[in-house]
Amino acid sequence: MEDKDLKKENHVDVKVAEAGSYDPRIIAFVCNWCTYSGADLAGTSRMKYSDNVRVIKLPCTGRIDPLFIVEAFKKGAKGVLVSGCHPGDCHYTSGNYHSRRKYATFRDLLGYFGVDLDRVEFSWVSASEGNKWVSVINEFTDKIKSMPGKSTDIFTKK
Amino acid sequence: MANTKTDEKLQKIAKDLLESGEVSLIIGYTKGSNSQRMRPLFVTRTEDADKLSFSPNAVQDLAVFLKKAEVKKFGKIGIVVKGCDEKAVNALIQEYQISRDNIKIIGVECNGVIRQNIADKGETNVSESTVYDKCLICEEHIPVLYDFLVESEEPKLVLSGKVKPYSEIARLESMSSEEKNAFWANEFDKCIKCYACRQACPLCYCSRCIVEKNTPQWIDTNSEETGNAQWNLIRAYHLSGRCIGCGECERACPVNIPLMLINEKMAIDVYNMFGYKSGLDINAKPVFGVFSENDFNDFIK
Repeated sequence: MEDKDLKKENHVDVKVAEAGSYDPRIIAFVCNWCTYSGADLAGTSRMKYSDNVRVIKLPCTGRIDPLFIVEAFKKGAKGVLVSGCHPGDCHYTSGNYHSRRKYATFRDLLGYFGVDLDRVEFSWVSASEGNKWVSVINEFTDKIKSMPGKSTDIFTKK
Repeated sequence: MANTKTDEKLQKIAKDLLESGEVSLIIGYTKGSNSQRMRPLFVTRTEDADKLSFSPNAVQDLAVFLKKAEVKKFGKIGIVVKGCDEKAVNALIQEYQISRDNIKIIGVECNGVIRQNIADKGETNVSESTVYDKCLICEEHIPVLYDFLVESEEPKLVLSGKVKPYSEIARLESMSSEEKNAFWANEFDKCIKCYACRQACPLCYCSRCIVEKNTPQWIDTNSEETGNAQWNLIRAYHLSGRCIGCGECERACPVNIPLMLINEKMAIDVYNMFGYKSGLDINAKPVFGVFSENDFNDFIK
């Protein structure tokens, strides 16, 4: 895809949101080994969940740089979910423990900068928890949809 | 101005170190162009050691020079540090940026340094209303680690509790998201992306900073709202659990963004969550280099 198309796509969500019916875009950064497989299970089991979410697969929650979260906000995402293996289950032994430490402080920093903390969510979803994935996504989407006025942050272009 | 006893002690230590060949460079302070200013001094010859000095105007954190290649090439280095600056040296040792064997720490007992903008107006008195906020919360008036210690002749800093250091943090925390947003949007709007905060920081030593990486370009290089916020967030985040609170970033900022409000908030958070304070122990592992299975888990579903 050309750069120009990418840019266009990035701004589509915002426009839809402004047009009336609030259709927020939610980005989910998930780990390859647990949550992505969990989401896969939800799909192969024909479970339905909100289509506002866009899933981005990465090797491990430890690979999900807090910068990605900011980038998602900057490109117009209304909510960001980070999800990975339960503590003790990491494919790389300790990636999720490290990321838990990172996010604990990063989340505080985001809140301090005025981002509504209901807009960032973290979860542990294992490969067998298709049900949990569906409920996490649906609850998160409902929460984001219920607060259209609270979606301002200093990272999005006005 | 005549040499004080502190100056004489400093000069003697420096001379001995240089003469014996234990170090080939000493980084210290010397009197500046006027009596309210001190400036950094690099001593390589014994006869220049007489220029070394220390006073409550020595605001600079000299540890920042330890990350520079021009300084590193001297090998064994002696450095004059206050308690806060010494924590930066510790953090650099912890992160394997310098070796304890290659550095001689000349610790100076410091009872607070006078805010530069007040000192420029002629203030010479060290008191709770004239020193930096960092001095009011300082617990390391005598450095935690040193090879030589130079005691202070200045009277101890008396705290009445009337001046609340970093009181803005509590005020900000009590604000709503929208108010915080407006506060920071207003502050970051001033940012001109000069990166002086990074250059002045003793712990920002990456040879290639995230803002200089352009494939992909994570942080907008132009100075406008969104990129400014992103830069300031990432700078603060990369220093969380590492910042030792010397306040050089804030002092270097040409547009007076209150960066210490962010750094100090992160330091408080990290202490509350992990019981860790940066730069106190050269044998401790950096807080984000390790983890515990019992870490803070409340925010995760």
